[in-house]
Amino acid sequence: MSDEEKKVIIETGDAGKGSTVMSESANTEELEERALSVFSSDRNEDITALIFCLITTFLVLLFTKWLV
Amino acid sequence: MSRIKDQMPVLIMGISLLIYGLIAKTGALMPMAKYLSTHKSLDLQITLTLIVGAIAIVGALINSSKEPGTSNFDTFFLQPLGGIVLILIMAMAIRWYAEPLMKIFSKNLQPILGFKIYKVLNLNYVVLGILAGVVLTNTWGIPKFAGPGVKCARFVLKMGVIMLGARYSFAELAKLGVYSVFLVGFFVLGTVFLVLWLGNIFKQPKSMTGVLAAGMGVCGVSATVAVAPVVKAKSAEMAYTIGTILSFGIVCMFVFPTIGKLAGMSPVQFGAWAGTGILNSAQVAAAALAFNAVDIETLKVAEIFNITRVLFLPIIVLVLATWFGKETGQKLSFKTVVIDKFPVFIIGFLILFAMSSMGLFSPPSHYKGKYIDVSYNDRTQVTPEEWETLNTAMTTDAFSGLTPKQLEAVTDLVEQRQIAGNYDDRNNTKEFDHVGRARMTQLEGVIAAAKAKQITLSPEVKSSIGHAVKQVHKKSKTVVTLTDFMIWFFAFGLIGLGMQITKKSITQAGGWPIVMGVVSGITKATLSFFVVLWLVKDVVLN
Repeated sequence: MSDEEKKVIIETGDAGKGSTVMSESANTEELEERALSVFSSDRNEDITALIFCLITTFLVLLFTKWLV
Repeated sequence: MSRIKDQMPVLIMGISLLIYGLIAKTGALMPMAKYLSTHKSLDLQITLTLIVGAIAIVGALINSSKEPGTSNFDTFFLQPLGGIVLILIMAMAIRWYAEPLMKIFSKNLQPILGFKIYKVLNLNYVVLGILAGVVLTNTWGIPKFAGPGVKCARFVLKMGVIMLGARYSFAELAKLGVYSVFLVGFFVLGTVFLVLWLGNIFKQPKSMTGVLAAGMGVCGVSATVAVAPVVKAKSAEMAYTIGTILSFGIVCMFVFPTIGKLAGMSPVQFGAWAGTGILNSAQVAAAALAFNAVDIETLKVAEIFNITRVLFLPIIVLVLATWFGKETGQKLSFKTVVIDKFPVFIIGFLILFAMSSMGLFSPPSHYKGKYIDVSYNDRTQVTPEEWETLNTAMTTDAFSGLTPKQLEAVTDLVEQRQIAGNYDDRNNTKEFDHVGRARMTQLEGVIAAAKAKQITLSPEVKSSIGHAVKQVHKKSKTVVTLTDFMIWFFAFGLIGLGMQITKKSITQAGGWPIVMGVVSGITKATLSFFVVLWLVKDVVLN
C-alpha cells in the first residue's frame, strides 16, 4: 500500500456495506453513490430510465388510446 | 449445493406468489378484496403475481445452476432478482393490504379523533413504503440475497419521477386566475430561495438543502421525491424532509383555521391562505374544511391555490438542477451547468410534461386527466336502487333543510336519474354543460352540509348522491395507466431507499434541517397571511 492510499469506510447501510482501500484523493461521495446502484455511472442509469419510460409511455398510448 | 441453498428464499417467494395468483384466480379472495375496496385491482393482482412468481422461479433455477457471471444479464437481472422480488412483494403488500387497511382503520377512528388519521399523517404508499424499508433494515437487516436488488431502488425511483411529468400540463395554468399564479409563484420561489439561503447560513450539505427547498416550496412529499435524485439527496435526507413537512403541516392544519377565524377572514381569503401556506394537499383540504365545512367555496379556492403550487414543480426541478450543477466557488459556463451537469432523467420528465401539455394523454385542460362529463350517458346514471332511495326521500320530505338551489338539483337528479343539464338545452352544449356542473356543485354542497351535520340525511341517501357526483367525474384511461406505473415505480423505489436509512444516517443529518424547515414554513405562512388579507378580496378565479 503506498503512502497516498488509506482505508476508507463508506457507510452505505446494509445495501452496500463494506470497506475498501482507495486513494485519498478519490471522490468518496461519487463512490458511495455508485455503491448504492447497479449502474456504473449516473448517466447510464439516467439514460436507461429514460428509455424504459419512453417505451412504457409508447405502449400505454398504444393500448389505451391509439388501438382502442 | 450451497448455490441452491442461497437461492431458496427466492424460490420460496416465487412459489408463494404463484400460489397467491392461483388462489386469487379462483375468486376466493373477492370478499376480502371487496372489504378492502381493492376488488378492481384483482385482475392486476393475478397477472402481476403469476408473472413475477414465474420469473422468480426461473431466475432462481438459473442462478442455482451456474456460477455468478459478469455479463449484463447477470449484473442487471440475475443478481438483483432476489431483492427485486422481495421489494415487489413488499410493494404489493402495501398497495393491496396495508394502505387499504390504514384507510379503514382511520375511517373507524374518525368519530373519536374528529379527523382521518390516514389523511392527516399522509399514511399512503409513499410514507408506508419508506417506513417498511426503514423497519426492515433496522430490525432484521436486509437479507443477503436481496442486497444487489436494493441497489435498483434509485433507478426505479427515477423512472417514477419521469412518469410524474405526465401529470402536469402548462394548459392548466391558463385556466387559473393570473392573480393566483403570481401570488403562488412568488411564494413558491421565495420559499425555495429562502431555504437555499438558510442552508448556506447553517452550512448544510447541498443535497439536504436542495431537497428541503423543493419540499417546503412546492407541494411536500411528491416534490421531495422528484427532486431527491436531482440534487443527489441521500435516503435519510429525503426521509428527514418528508418528516419535517408532514409534522409542520399537522401543526398548520390545526392552527390555520383558528387564526383565520380570529382574523375574520372571508372563505375566499382563507382558501387562498391555506392553499399557499400549507404544504400537503390532504392537509390543505382538511384545514379548509375545518374553517368552513358547509360552504365548499373555501375548499375550492384552497384547491385551486394548491394546484397552482403543484404546477410549479417542473420549474422548481429546473431551478434546482441548475443550482445543484453550479459548484460552490467555481464559475461554470452555461454549457457545463445545463448540458454536462444536468441530470439526463429530468429530460424525460420534461418530455412527458411537454407531451401532456400538448394534450397527447388527455385534453390539456383536464387536470391530471380528470374531467367532468355531464352529458347524457347510461353509464353515469344512478342505480335503480339508488333512484328508489332518492325518490322515496323526496316524497317523504327528507330534504327539508336544503337551500332552494340544492333542492332543485336533487329534484332534477330524481327526474333525470343522473347529473345533467336541462333536456331542452341538449343542443346548446355550453348552456347544458353549465347547468349540469352547477347542479353537481349544489349536490356536493348537500353532501358537505350533511357531513357538517347541518342537515340530516340517511346514509343511503348520502351514498346515492355521492355516487351520482362520482359518476360524472371521469378520468383519462391513458393518464390513469401512466399514473399506475408511476405509483408502482415510486412504491418500489421508496421501499428500496427506506432500506438504506439506518439509525446512524438519521442522526448524522442532525437537527438543522428541522430548524430550516420550521423557519421557512413560518415565514411563508406569516407573509402569505398578510399578503392574502391585503390583496385577495373575493374573486380569484377566471
